[in-house]
Amino acid sequence: MEIAYPVGTVRALMATDQVTDATRRALTERLTTETQPPQFFSNYELNLLRTICDRLIPQSEHHRAIDVAGGIDSRLAQGKSDGWRYDDMPIDEDTYQLGLAGIDEAAQKLFGQPFQQLSDTYQDQVLRAVQQAKAPGESWKKLRADRFFEELLAESTYHYYSHPLAQEEIGYVGMADVPGWQRIGLDQREEREPERSK
Amino acid sequence: MHYNKQPTPVDAVVIGTGAGGAPLLARLAAAGLKVVALEAGRYWNPAKDFATDEKAQETLFWTDERLSAGENPLPFGSNNSGTGVGGSTLHYTAYTPRAQPDDLMLRSEFGVGEDWPWGFDQLESYYEEVEQLLGVSGPSPYPWGPARKRAYPLGPLPINGAGMLMQKGCKQLGIRTSPAANAALSAEYYQEGVGYRHACTNRGFCQAGCTIGAKASMDVTYIPLALRYGAQIRPESFVTQLIKDPSGRISDVVYSRNGQEERQRCRYVFLCAGAVETPRLLLLNELANSSGQVGRNLMAHPGLQIWGEFDEAVRPFKGIPGAIISEDTHRPQQADFAGGYLLQSIGVMPVTYLTQMTRALGTWGQDLKKAALAYNHVAGINILGDCLPAAHNYLELSGEKDSRGLPKPRIYFSNGENEKRMTAHADTLMRAIWEAAGAKNVWAYPRNAHVIGTCRMGMNPTTAVVNPDGQSFDIPNLYISDNSTFPSALSVNPALTIMALSLRTADRFLTNNKRL
Repeated sequence: MEIAYPVGTVRALMATDQVTDATRRALTERLTTETQPPQFFSNYELNLLRTICDRLIPQSEHHRAIDVAGGIDSRLAQGKSDGWRYDDMPIDEDTYQLGLAGIDEAAQKLFGQPFQQLSDTYQDQVLRAVQQAKAPGESWKKLRADRFFEELLAESTYHYYSHPLAQEEIGYVGMADVPGWQRIGLDQREEREPERSK
Repeated sequence: MHYNKQPTPVDAVVIGTGAGGAPLLARLAAAGLKVVALEAGRYWNPAKDFATDEKAQETLFWTDERLSAGENPLPFGSNNSGTGVGGSTLHYTAYTPRAQPDDLMLRSEFGVGEDWPWGFDQLESYYEEVEQLLGVSGPSPYPWGPARKRAYPLGPLPINGAGMLMQKGCKQLGIRTSPAANAALSAEYYQEGVGYRHACTNRGFCQAGCTIGAKASMDVTYIPLALRYGAQIRPESFVTQLIKDPSGRISDVVYSRNGQEERQRCRYVFLCAGAVETPRLLLLNELANSSGQVGRNLMAHPGLQIWGEFDEAVRPFKGIPGAIISEDTHRPQQADFAGGYLLQSIGVMPVTYLTQMTRALGTWGQDLKKAALAYNHVAGINILGDCLPAAHNYLELSGEKDSRGLPKPRIYFSNGENEKRMTAHADTLMRAIWEAAGAKNVWAYPRNAHVIGTCRMGMNPTTAVVNPDGQSFDIPNLYISDNSTFPSALSVNPALTIMALSLRTADRFLTNNKRL
């Protein structure tokens, strides 16, 4: 992936008084969270989830620091909800465990190997089959594959783009709001806002 | 049961401190009543507690799980809910258009939906009073609806990139636009009970809570006013029971606070917990439901969003999110549906934008990374349209228990033919506007916003839960004041109307009890 915006913008702003203490605390915690052993999933499940998340949101060498699967594991371990779920889906804990087993099952049925053993191309084919509710396997009789994929993708996106490094990647500096924003119209930029390289 | 009994009865217990509860709390306290508000959420200190961050803002959402059923399941959490002293107004975007008179007469005009049991004249003075107190920023004159008796107290907020693009696209199509009315201050404003409130600094994070008090959430407007008049607020108090005495009146409100059960005796109860928790509490307690209508008539505004990428840098996190409005679509000509909608420009934060995209389009892999790189160049436009009540849309108690041990609510919602036609009309129109404005990679996010109408107000005790004053037909000392009583959904965002209705409910109560 091209480097479209300069590296280090959010981290540099976090060190200034243009970010409030509450904001700095929230972002610093995310930035310094190290990869933890699984709290909710088994080791196998968490490794499988990591492999899947890497396909859903590829991380460059530089940004591999964002532990999307760990964010999901931690959320489930804390029993936290986002306030709703589809009525035709099991509780979140069961959804994830069934869904992960289902992805391995589909990988076996389609390509004769567990998901993690497959090439990137085959992994993507399995994931696309799940997304389109065409994945084979008994697991998907207990779980709507398309909804599981939607929930997994939305939660992965949520964890990834909440991270300061991902926000640097897309040139977002909205957290540096202490001075307010005066230049808010089209093509108006304040000094602390990064420009895209091309 | 061990109750920490509060032996002294109060005149009124108000359950919930959002747009429905807070104005009424201030009004009753000002009239000299002894009032206590019970709020499930915390009492926040915005300057210290609110981070400018989408993940951190979760603390303002009601996250007790709700089950979403039907063909168009409604999302909750970040959408349609709020917790904390100030309720959902802590994270509303402060978009405060008035309803128009014909919004209250849908059945008379179209033969479908419901009329309100009284007319616009009953709300008009309250709209004005609320706008003046909140310090609403808006244009004068305002191009749609009846002539206003009094201008907005402050001029409009500055227009951000998304707003400029909507102006450009609409101009080419001959659609009138105007800066919108927003309950955030375009200049410093004096607030009774608070002092001077700071002008908006365009930080754009209304949905994460305003850190400077520029946005008129209840915690910086009606709540301090209520406190000044002697109201008491008990935060982190989750109401579980309403106890009836032998005469059929509610004598006690039971709530849980710091893990302890407490009880408050009272003469009157005002239930202001929103269109999910209000009917849920009544159903849990099997109260006020001789009509069988508690939880029925659930409505949710069609809120289709159209997004696009522009050559110009938009940086859509800056400025008041809903800067520009058009109500030219309030009653579109040759429409094949009843009612109408408003058009609104929208800014957006990156996590919200991208998670919505993954749900709507299923984008992942390098495609998602590429779409995310365009974030600084995206802008949106959306509608807020009327919704008809339907038998298939309702709230019930499920068999599944939540973390408090209470049944989770299950909410059924499917758009009917009218909502589908309205959404199709808006889809065509908004794509044309965005194309005229120069958008590329245009995509649609279908959604319904705001839950409304689960304890209908009406004249007839067999088809409504509360009478035209907001008083329960079954329990004379129970009033409901929130969006659950709306007989129709209206074609505007509900917050301003909830507040106006809250003041009206308080005044009707005081008049009926000869306390004015």
